[in-house]
Amino acid sequence: MQWLRDMWTKEGPGIPKNAPRKTGLALFGQTLAREGWEMVKLNILFILAALLIITIPAAVAATARICLAHVEDRNTYLLRDFCEAFTRYFWRATAWGLAFGAAIGLGGYAVVTYAAIARDNVFLVFPLATAFVVTVFLGVVACHLLVLMVMRDLPPLTLLRLAAIASFMRPLPVLAAMLFVAGLWLAHILLYPVSVFMPAAFNFSLGMFAIVFSAHRAAETVLALPPAPLSGLKPEAGQAKHI
Amino acid sequence: MSSISLRKLNKTYGALTVVHDIDLEIDDKEFIILVGPSGCGKSTTLRMIAGLEEISGGELVIGGDMVNDVPSKDRDIAMVFQNYALYPHMTVYKNMAFGLQLRKAPRDVIEQKVHEAARILDITHLLNRKPKALSGGQRQRVALGRAMVRNPAVFLLDEPLSNLDAKLRGTMRAEITKLHKRLDATFIYVTHDQIEAMTMADRIVVMSDGRIQQVDTPQNLYDRPINMFVAGFIGAPQMNMLPSVIERRGEHYVAVFNGRDLPLPTHVDQSRIAPYVGKEIVVGIRPENFHELPPADIDSANMAPFEAVVDLAEPMGSEIHLNITVGEQALTVRVSPRFKAAIGSTAKLVVDTTNMQLFDKETQRSILY
Repeated sequence: MQWLRDMWTKEGPGIPKNAPRKTGLALFGQTLAREGWEMVKLNILFILAALLIITIPAAVAATARICLAHVEDRNTYLLRDFCEAFTRYFWRATAWGLAFGAAIGLGGYAVVTYAAIARDNVFLVFPLATAFVVTVFLGVVACHLLVLMVMRDLPPLTLLRLAAIASFMRPLPVLAAMLFVAGLWLAHILLYPVSVFMPAAFNFSLGMFAIVFSAHRAAETVLALPPAPLSGLKPEAGQAKHI
Repeated sequence: MSSISLRKLNKTYGALTVVHDIDLEIDDKEFIILVGPSGCGKSTTLRMIAGLEEISGGELVIGGDMVNDVPSKDRDIAMVFQNYALYPHMTVYKNMAFGLQLRKAPRDVIEQKVHEAARILDITHLLNRKPKALSGGQRQRVALGRAMVRNPAVFLLDEPLSNLDAKLRGTMRAEITKLHKRLDATFIYVTHDQIEAMTMADRIVVMSDGRIQQVDTPQNLYDRPINMFVAGFIGAPQMNMLPSVIERRGEHYVAVFNGRDLPLPTHVDQSRIAPYVGKEIVVGIRPENFHELPPADIDSANMAPFEAVVDLAEPMGSEIHLNITVGEQALTVRVSPRFKAAIGSTAKLVVDTTNMQLFDKETQRSILY
């Protein structure tokens, strides 16, 4: 049993205080390696919380909240914090989830419709492209809005406005994250049945981590913007309590 | 109030007694260090104070209350172990918060205390890391932090630095000393390292074979050891012990060692020396009391020439440790790095007897104190 004890008690290399923080994909990989087991547990929590379907938006918000703590390198008590976030964001997440679900669904429907009829009329490629871009942009806004929602308590309009600004400022990281999520599910489909446990193990939590990681900097930037340029903001938005 | 009294405290395992009727008074907010060789009973004593070992006899009083039968968790103490004893599956934050959670402390209080301790110990950047990634020094800080967040009246530290490398040990010594001043709590610290004891303690308890040999301030222990064990244990290189005979020369006494007279210090009580005239005693002289040239600030009556054959020279950078031989007696002396002495040659030194110690050969106790 000595080897087992040594495995637990062996000294590590240490963590230098002033070492430059990793960025980009290196930071993504480092965080993933550090929080890997937490993400597996988070994934299971998400699946359990989303079983009732109507609870999916709140489960997504709770998962985003935990992923945010991972990205910000903060301590979490997984079950406790997940449950708290689930109840805290339940109504907000459900409302925003329904709204964006409907909007993106409508956008998707428009894309499919225009794609079908564009085969007969080439000029309909323009509304098809517009519908596609708008739908994707709505997805990007939804991602930023989700991250902003779990970062600060903001009034709905402010939240939407900041999410839109963030989406204009830095859309590419979130687009890359969305492709990463699509890749995860594509891998699950292509490698089936070898990949049968992917969704149960990490697809949801890892996907959400990628989204939060990619949207985090833009969200921080818009939250740090001075109130003056955001003329429509209510006073309390600028003094939003950090949660 | 967190004064501690050990009254006739002892510990036995069947027929074997490992701690013999210890009496010790530890003041509130004192930094006291139990020091002694391995197996001398210092850790057992600490564990009895912590409540991790049953007390076989005697009384343990903390803050005026006898706590012999009080469970460890109710003694308002926190212990830091040699191997840190961190939970490997928990982050640093959770390791530090765990004790408070068990006590059902409010979440914001836990948060505040953990961050405050982390700030003091400069481990804020480690809070979300697991012990596996931490170096020995960082783990040690976490172990200290875990003790600190409980805000105990008494800190018990069981050889907390012995797993660290020499450089880090030096740094952590200073950190713990500063921490004691900042926290204003009673610290009881166990170590076998006399440098730790000398540099950190308000008072040192020297133990041997389950008994307290001497309790005093570091400087007093060094200058006025009560017996040969303390004299030999405190100080590095250790004190030279010279078997000698006391003789009278006119008004004064001398210790005759290997045919040469060593004048006894003039300031000591002569009446203590008189009964030993003609008897064998042991003279203790510290390595730094040998000099290449007579120091200007020392009375010539307390100096004697000393010639010895050089066996080995150990350059330490700031000084040289010379292993020399006089007759059959091997000694260690500390000289300046400028001193040149070839191996096998005779070194001409001067011995300063001002701080000479005299011990009874039979009882090994000091004749002077």
